[in-house]
Amino acid sequence: MSWQGKGKTAIVGIGYSELSRRPQKSLGALSLDACRAALDDAGLPAEQVDGLATFPEAPFHGAGTQDGEQIVSVEYVMNHLPLAPDIRWYAQIETGLIASAVIEGVNALLAEACEYVLVWRALHNPRGRYGAWSGNRAPGDAQFMAPYGCTSIFQWHAMAWQRYMHRYGATRDHLATFVTNSRRNANLNPNAYFYTTPMTREDYFAARWIAEPLCLFDCDIPVEGCVALVLTTAERAVDRRHPPAYIAGYGQNTSRRRALFHYSLDNYMESGHSLASKLWASSDLRPQDMSAAELYDGFSPSTLYWLEAAGFCGQGEAYSFIQDGRIALEGELPVNTFGGSLSEGRLHGMGHIAEAVMQVTDRAEKRQVPSASAVCAIDGSPMLRGSGLVITREP
Amino acid sequence: MAATQEKPRPLIDDLTRPFWEAAREHRLVIQRCQDCRYFNHPPRSVCNACHSAALTFEPVSGRGTIYSFSVMYQPNVAGFGDELPYLNILVELEEQPQIFLVSNLSEVQREQVRIGGQVEVYFEDVDAELTLPKFRLIA
Repeated sequence: MSWQGKGKTAIVGIGYSELSRRPQKSLGALSLDACRAALDDAGLPAEQVDGLATFPEAPFHGAGTQDGEQIVSVEYVMNHLPLAPDIRWYAQIETGLIASAVIEGVNALLAEACEYVLVWRALHNPRGRYGAWSGNRAPGDAQFMAPYGCTSIFQWHAMAWQRYMHRYGATRDHLATFVTNSRRNANLNPNAYFYTTPMTREDYFAARWIAEPLCLFDCDIPVEGCVALVLTTAERAVDRRHPPAYIAGYGQNTSRRRALFHYSLDNYMESGHSLASKLWASSDLRPQDMSAAELYDGFSPSTLYWLEAAGFCGQGEAYSFIQDGRIALEGELPVNTFGGSLSEGRLHGMGHIAEAVMQVTDRAEKRQVPSASAVCAIDGSPMLRGSGLVITREP
Repeated sequence: MAATQEKPRPLIDDLTRPFWEAAREHRLVIQRCQDCRYFNHPPRSVCNACHSAALTFEPVSGRGTIYSFSVMYQPNVAGFGDELPYLNILVELEEQPQIFLVSNLSEVQREQVRIGGQVEVYFEDVDAELTLPKFRLIA
C-alpha cells in the first residue's frame, strides 16, 4: 500500500540564477533572481507564497556563513521578496541536503500549514582554495585527521573508491564512462556551467589528480548561484503555466551507525537502502519503473554507490552496469540527464530535483527522455547522509 | 602563503587527553567500554555500541591492516605543501573491525602500499608537547 500523500503535492515552477565561478552579483541577489524565475515559471505572484524552506549549509566546513553573501537563509528571502504578508510556515533544515527541505514543504502542504512553498538552494564559491583547512588547532574528531593532512571530504571519498576498486575490480576506465556521459548531457543543458565544453575520455585521463584515485573531473564543479522551485498541493497545481510534476514518494537516510569518523564502504548498501526502501515503498514504484535517475554526484563514485544501494543493479555491479550506453540519454536507464553536479555545477542536489521535474513535464528539450513518466532524484552519499524524491508525470 | 607553515595540531580536550598523553609515552591506547568491551575511536562520552558511560582507555597491540589509502595532491592543509603528493592510509586495528586510525606512510614504503597490508604503530615526537602515533608496513 502506497503512501497516502502520493501525488497530493507537486512542483509547479523551477528557476535558475546564473551559475558561474565568480559572479558580479552577490549570492543574495542571485538567489532572489532564482526565486523570481521560479515564481515566474509557475505563473505565481510572489504575494501568494506563504511557505519557505531551504537547506542553507555552507559549501564546506570553515567556509563563511554571512547571510546574503555566503549563505541565503529563510530570513533573508522573507525580507527581500514581496511574499504573503502572513508567512504561515517555514523550515530551515540542517541535515539531509535539499531534498529534505522539499520533503518538509510536502509535509507542510499535506498538513495544510500553507498553500505555496518556495524552496531554494544557494551555493557560495569562496575565494581561495576550495575546502582548505584553516586553523592550526584541530578540534573534535579532526584532531585525529588534520595532523596527518587528511581533512578534505574528497580524501575520504578517494579512500572509499580505492576500496571499492579493490573489492570489485573497477578501474578509472569504468568511471570515465560515467563522467564523460554526464558531460555529454551537460552539453545539452543551457544552465550547465560546462554547457559549451565537451569532454573526451582522453580529457578525463589527462586531468590532474586531486586525491588519487580521484582526479579533477571526479569532483563536482563549485559554482556560485541558486536554483529555486515552487511547491503546492495537487489541487492548486493544475492551473499553472506548466504541467505539474507530482511528488510520488520520498525517503531520507536513517541508517544507524556507530561512528561517523569516515565513509566506510562497508555500510553503503545498508545505509543507502534505508533511504531507497522508503522511496520505493511510498511511491509504490520500483527502480525498473524509473524513466531516468538523477543520482547525486558530488564525487563521481557516489552515483555508482546509489545505483547499487537504490536497487538499479546489484552490489558491486554499478561500474559494469553503466557501460555500453546503458546510462546514456538513449539508454535503458538515463542517469544524470542534465550533467549532474560534475558538469552542471555544485548545487547540492537541487539540480537533480530540477531536472527530474523538467523530464516528467517534457521540458528538458534536447535532453528529453521520451515520455518520461517517473524520475527519482536522490541527494547525498549513501555513506553519509541523503534524501530523495520520486517525481511523476501523473499524480 | 608562507613556506614554513606549521601543520595542524590536535586541540586536545578532556575526552581525548588520555590518548595523547599515552602517545607522549609511546603507548597506543584506545577508549573501551567497560560494560560491553567495545572500542570507541575517536573517544566518546557514551559508548557507540551499548550507550554506557563506563569508558576507560586500554592499551592495544598497535597492529592493524590497511583498509584503504589515497594520495593527496592538493595543498589544502597548512604545513603539508612541501610533502605533496603525500599518502594517507586508513588503518583498521586488529582488536576490532571498523576501528580506524589515520596515518601517513613514509616515502620509502609508498611503493609497497596495498589494501590489506599489515602495519604496526610507531611514534613520531613532533616536539616537547606532541607525539603522533603513525604506522609503518611490517616486512
